[in-house]
Amino acid sequence: MTQQKRLLIIDDDPDFVEGIKSILDAAGYSVDVTYNPKTGLQALQEKTYDLLLLDIMMGRGAEGIMIARKLRKDTKLREMPVLIITGIREQMAFLFPGEPVHPRFVAVDELVEKPVEASLLLEKVSTLIGLAEARKVKSE
Amino acid sequence: MNHKAKIIIIDDEEVVLDSCTQILEGRNYDVATAENGTVGLKLVEETNPDLVYIDLKMPGIPGLEVLEKIRDLDSTIVTVVITGYATVDSAVEAMKRGAYDFLPKPFTPDEFRLITKRGIERRKLMLEAIALRREKEMLRENFAAIVSHELKSPLGAIQQNLFAMSNELAGTLSESQSTRVERMKIRIDDLLKLINSWLRVYSVDINKIKENFTTIQIPSLISKAIEYVEPHAVRKDVSITPVIEDPLSPLEGDEGSLLEALVNIIGNAVKYSYTGSQVNVHASEKEGNIQISISDTGVGIPEDELPNVLSDFYRGKPGQTEESSHGIGLTISRRIIEAHSGTIFVASKPSKGTTFTITIPLMQKKE
Repeated sequence: MTQQKRLLIIDDDPDFVEGIKSILDAAGYSVDVTYNPKTGLQALQEKTYDLLLLDIMMGRGAEGIMIARKLRKDTKLREMPVLIITGIREQMAFLFPGEPVHPRFVAVDELVEKPVEASLLLEKVSTLIGLAEARKVKSE
Repeated sequence: MNHKAKIIIIDDEEVVLDSCTQILEGRNYDVATAENGTVGLKLVEETNPDLVYIDLKMPGIPGLEVLEKIRDLDSTIVTVVITGYATVDSAVEAMKRGAYDFLPKPFTPDEFRLITKRGIERRKLMLEAIALRREKEMLRENFAAIVSHELKSPLGAIQQNLFAMSNELAGTLSESQSTRVERMKIRIDDLLKLINSWLRVYSVDINKIKENFTTIQIPSLISKAIEYVEPHAVRKDVSITPVIEDPLSPLEGDEGSLLEALVNIIGNAVKYSYTGSQVNVHASEKEGNIQISISDTGVGIPEDELPNVLSDFYRGKPGQTEESSHGIGLTISRRIIEAHSGTIFVASKPSKGTTFTITIPLMQKKE
């Protein structure tokens, strides 16, 4: 029996979070939610998650990127897949001039645009978790 | 705010300094004086005045030099030269070097007050113009951030919940209710796309793409563009036929944005085509230029509307097509092509069809 997967959402828009959480709940995931980078990082330290759903534009700017940078430096959290959910694909190019539109923040990440259709969201989530597990098995 | 205007008078004649100060006394001015250029310049640096009177003929630093130094320091400071030898030449020379006006000696108190008043007004206008320009620039820069957060976020949240709820309510909703939910999704999606297009026009400095030019193979660029539009064309039963002449030199440019321009124009051709018709894409090399023409046999554009097609926010008249458009695609395309030192030309006959011709020089002009 496969264990229920644990997901964390960090996003400062509670209404939007409701919209993705209910899709993920219905698909059988266990979903935690935090509404700002600070409590988000705390949650990541306290529990182990199979996937992080991360908003980029929070607070006074691209605070999601700050989280991604911290994750990249953390040897344990670095392995966790991240699904970046953002409403601003075009601005990504400004934030990372000269880089491809999809920045590789961490080892495994993907980017979807807000709003995201249920089927696409579920597909991305399960693919990312699958890939992370396959790598884990390989390295063991 | 009632800011007291600051005036500095630089003149070696004490009687001039005294009388000028007296004339302006009791008015809303803050007057300081200097007996030579060195002292005057120091005073200007320290107090950042609104208006400076400079005597052209002074011992020490000549008046014209003082004038230039003030202009270099802050070109918004208004300068008026006082000229004792009232020749037109010296006044003209001073104004060439940035003086706003000149005051020939001897002058009456009224003349002096009038010129002072005009000079102060001039300074006020200059500062206002600068503030407005800065505000406009900031608005443009921040537009992307403001729009994306204030408009897109709520719409995104609404749409996200519609996605979730239509999933959860599947099976519970009647057919007509499901249809209405789908319509709501489509309308919100249109709105989000519209906002994205606006963002593209306002916040992206298309000239910046010049910094990332690479070598582009035209045939692969065209086939990629067609690939993008193909699904749409298939649905409308419109066939897209590329004709690519050989040889074709590679082009220096920004592949991503050129692709966007081609997709816009070919997509547009498909959109205004009749079902079952054909869109031709023809690429050739002529006199150091790459020429790509896209022609359809569709609804065409009325002659009186032709000049507007490539200008900002034009869109076809309602009724010509059932599909929605925001009239931004062609504007963006034109700007992209112009950033490549190229031109875009449109020829059309109503109900016969339209041809867009893009010409881009192989050698980019150095700026």
